[in-house]
Amino acid sequence: MQSTSMDYLTIALPKGKLFGLSADLLAKIGYTAEGLSDKSRKLIITNEEKKIKFIVSKTADVPTYVEYGAADLGVIGKDVLLESGKDVYELLDLGFGRCHLMMAVPKDEKRAKLLDYNHTRVATKFPHIAEQFFNRHGMQMEYIKLNGSIELGPIVGLSESIVDIVETGTTLRENGLEEIVSIQDATARLIANRVSFKMKFDRIHTMISDLRTILESEAAAK
Amino acid sequence: MEKDKNVLEIPYGTRDFLPSEAADKRAIETKLAELFAEWGYEEVVTPTIEYLDNLTLGSSVSLQDHLFKLFDRDNRTLALRHEMTTPIARLVSSRLKDYPLPMKLSYISSVFRQEQTQMGRQCEFHQAGVELMGSTSAFADAEILALAIQGLLRSGLKDFQICLGQVEFLNGIMEQYQLPAEAKDKLKAAMEQRNLVELETLVDQLGLSDNAKAVLKKLPLLNGGEAMLKSAYDLALNEQSRRALDNLSEIYRLLKSYGVEQYVRFDLGIIRDFSYYTGMVFEAYTPGLGFPLCGGGRYDHLLSDFGNACPATGFGMGIERILLALERQGLEKPKRARNIYLSYAAGKEAQAVERARVLRQEGKTVELALTPQDKAEAVKMQQAKGYAELVYLA
Repeated sequence: MQSTSMDYLTIALPKGKLFGLSADLLAKIGYTAEGLSDKSRKLIITNEEKKIKFIVSKTADVPTYVEYGAADLGVIGKDVLLESGKDVYELLDLGFGRCHLMMAVPKDEKRAKLLDYNHTRVATKFPHIAEQFFNRHGMQMEYIKLNGSIELGPIVGLSESIVDIVETGTTLRENGLEEIVSIQDATARLIANRVSFKMKFDRIHTMISDLRTILESEAAAK
Repeated sequence: MEKDKNVLEIPYGTRDFLPSEAADKRAIETKLAELFAEWGYEEVVTPTIEYLDNLTLGSSVSLQDHLFKLFDRDNRTLALRHEMTTPIARLVSSRLKDYPLPMKLSYISSVFRQEQTQMGRQCEFHQAGVELMGSTSAFADAEILALAIQGLLRSGLKDFQICLGQVEFLNGIMEQYQLPAEAKDKLKAAMEQRNLVELETLVDQLGLSDNAKAVLKKLPLLNGGEAMLKSAYDLALNEQSRRALDNLSEIYRLLKSYGVEQYVRFDLGIIRDFSYYTGMVFEAYTPGLGFPLCGGGRYDHLLSDFGNACPATGFGMGIERILLALERQGLEKPKRARNIYLSYAAGKEAQAVERARVLRQEGKTVELALTPQDKAEAVKMQQAKGYAELVYLA
């Protein structure tokens, strides 16, 4: 059920590691609601006093909610946003949830240069980003879409390489993989529906300014 | 039976309109057709298929990915029209060349785009719109805006907002900082992708003063009323961007004469999907619909691409999106009423036919039963078919 009301601002938050960080940041500008948790059974949590609704959704679905206007705003990792290809406003880099997308191969079978992997198989959760990246390098690859444990691909002979996100690189090392090329750095982004951004401009604009102030003071404190 | 599996399917991105949906669509189209005619806009119809080269004239390359293409017998590439402005520009530049200017044309047509289906937009969707050719005046732009607003009102919408911008403002601002062409393209691309994070990153890489950087970063956020427009003059350092603001002020002044200025808000960072726009541009939004309802603007060079230099301005609105918005907002659709189910006892056919004729002449919608029925059957049928009233000839 989509709210056609102009009174509420609806914000989609992703379950998982970005949830807590997003909720904490939004709470600092007064955007919070009682019982807001990604463990909550309630999927919509409303703050009647401040006219805010939170939708807690699966990570990959946040851009969809926002593109269709079911949520006015959302917090999502740049990696997921890029992969989704959704037409939304990308308003603000929230700075947290830092990771980077890269291509990794088994350490022992490393080839001399990137082009040597042309026409090989790559396992990834991000086939669109991977395809764009390899296309830019004039390479044609066979993409194998996996939904988790991407590192397994080369180990079991499913693929010659992987394209995945890494935070620390520990999982790569433990599985005998080595990063050979970085594709994109990613952090959490505040996104907005293209119509909401116009129709609720004043409110969203104030919110961005408030968030900026918090982010800048936090950056200065570090 | 395996081979029959596909006979009930229709292609991706297409839809059937069932009777009540088709009635809703027709009712809106009729309202809009009447409105356009009242304002002196004459309807034109152009072919569904055109030569690919004609449709892509003056548009960006990326457009080609979204066209349905096919070949004719001589292997020339054809495409289904993806919008109506370009075909009408072609028409005006060829067969209507000697028509007195300004020329006011309207259309209600299906258009086709090969893309991920969106809310209220399949790959085939329906647009109503107008094009006004042969005038560069702000009065022409104001007329287009006022007509778009009347169109939305006439469709039954109450709550909507027009965001009005001017592409020359953005161009002028970029010009005043003497940005290299490559940087300009990148900034524009970031804005087209609505990526303000990327815009900031790009601006930070430019060798500009802090003040200039702040102005460029602020572009997508220049949204507001008359006060915002006035304050935008502080950012406009050259003739080009100032003239764009003057143009918007003038259009707004004229919109006040139409009494529709309350629907309009300025948005200097507005970006439209087509690259042929040269002056004012606008989009219309309504609560509960995540996509624009209507959009348009001035395109003074498109006709000269067809060899007939002539300024022009216009808009198109999405019929399905208007229908969806009315439904979402629980508003009445301007539908034709189902008035009377006319049934009769055996032997009364001739009287029934005469009665139907009289009622229809009075403007009633009348369905005539095809076989004699008793009263109980007739009542059942009237209710099942959703007619307001039963006329029964015993």
